Amino acid sequence: MSNSMISIKGIADGVYINVEGNDYNKIKEALEKKINENIDFFRGSKLIDIVGEELTLDIKTEIMLLLKYKYDFVLKNEDKTLIREIEKDESNKISKMPNVVEEGMTKFVHGTLRSGQEVSYNGNIVIIGDVNPGAVLRAKGNIIVLGLLRGVAHAGIGGNKNAIVAAYNLLPTQLRIDDIIVRPPEGDSYYKYPEIARIIEDKVIIEPYLPNK
Amino acid sequence: MENGKKGTSIVVTSGKGGVGKTTTSANIGTGLAMQGYSVVVLDADIGLRNLDVVMGLENRIVYDIVDVVEKNCKLKQALIKDKRHENLYLLPAAQTKDKTAVSSSQMIELVNELKKNYDYIIIDSPAGIEQGFQYSIAGADEAIIVTTPEVSAVRDADRVIGILEANEIYQPKLIVNRIRQDMVRRGDMMNIEDILDILAVKLLGVVPDDENVVISTNKGEPVVMDEKALSGKAYRNIVRRIIGEEVEFLNLEETNQGKFSKMMKLLFGR
Repeated sequence: MSNSMISIKGIADGVYINVEGNDYNKIKEALEKKINENIDFFRGSKLIDIVGEELTLDIKTEIMLLLKYKYDFVLKNEDKTLIREIEKDESNKISKMPNVVEEGMTKFVHGTLRSGQEVSYNGNIVIIGDVNPGAVLRAKGNIIVLGLLRGVAHAGIGGNKNAIVAAYNLLPTQLRIDDIIVRPPEGDSYYKYPEIARIIEDKVIIEPYLPNK
Repeated sequence: MENGKKGTSIVVTSGKGGVGKTTTSANIGTGLAMQGYSVVVLDADIGLRNLDVVMGLENRIVYDIVDVVEKNCKLKQALIKDKRHENLYLLPAAQTKDKTAVSSSQMIELVNELKKNYDYIIIDSPAGIEQGFQYSIAGADEAIIVTTPEVSAVRDADRVIGILEANEIYQPKLIVNRIRQDMVRRGDMMNIEDILDILAVKLLGVVPDDENVVISTNKGEPVVMDEKALSGKAYRNIVRRIIGEEVEFLNLEETNQGKFSKMMKLLFGR
């Protein structure tokens, strides 16, 4: 088995990689060999897609992560699973990242998040729907819920004390901004106005959001 | 803390879902703590955690069992102290993971660690007999089987007792939950003898079907603390049997009492 397992095609926008077989280790070995033959050319390339008859999603994801992190490939693929994988990977690294928030990066989620579902993002999160108890939101930036927030929301991960959490109905199981964790007082009642939570002098303050202000 | 304790780990399991494992775990754990023992209740139902809700501790969770086995935090950090009892702790399950997040060997290590510092470790097992069940029983010294007086639940309990024996957990004890003496008397429900006939294990207790259990579960306050509720008394008796006391079964007396208090309720509105 030589390099015939792998063929790399370059087009104007980036490169396609063709893969034969479904053995990750063999593919990895062949691919790395091929890339290393021409490392300067490949480093930082745009990857459009990886294709192969026997290729599974798992292997594809693994290869993409390998290319992204080891060889600085830029991924163009829109595959949802992969993006989620990468985000998961990045969210693990959130705490190690420098204290910068790109205000512009926002993830929109349409629909209700149910118990056990988790959205992590390296920027802001906007949920157009409800967040049920048992669901978790983790954002480096702000969290906005256009609905009822009953789950756990963690904004400002990694040192952003300016982050806010806002919801039409703010009834979280637990609220975290940066490293401050609060839970609602026992027997907290339903408040029917939108509310915003933010840190003021190292305390999480929740106040109603009044639209006419 | 007092290192070198030799605690006992007890898994609460059933095979079938919905028979009251979590409620039983919460009540036994709380009951043991009320008796002065140091207790950890461990929610092993990763992905479908409930024990925190039943104990009213959901909003205090920061770390969970998966964080502990993955060493993202120290064991002590993940233990949540109960609101009412100083010596009662909850180790919550993770909700955003699944059963593959923990292995049997990790569980054994974890439970052994807990046993050094606490008198009782109550493990709330998930329903089923798959991986979640397997790692739940891995660290257990003893087992409590929960069943309801239905053929399906008893059948599953029987299967689970067999698996426990295969895993060298012998002589599990049985709790028959949600029994309705009025239906038993009419012959519409399996009675305790029928169930014991099939399962041939030692009876630890019988808990009547009681609306107080539902009320207390929804409030996050285990019914064992309710002095008035019959089910609370049943759980207190179960706890006393676990710690080795001889306590008579309420059985028939229970019915009369139940009937009597029902009449009282009708007559005097309680």
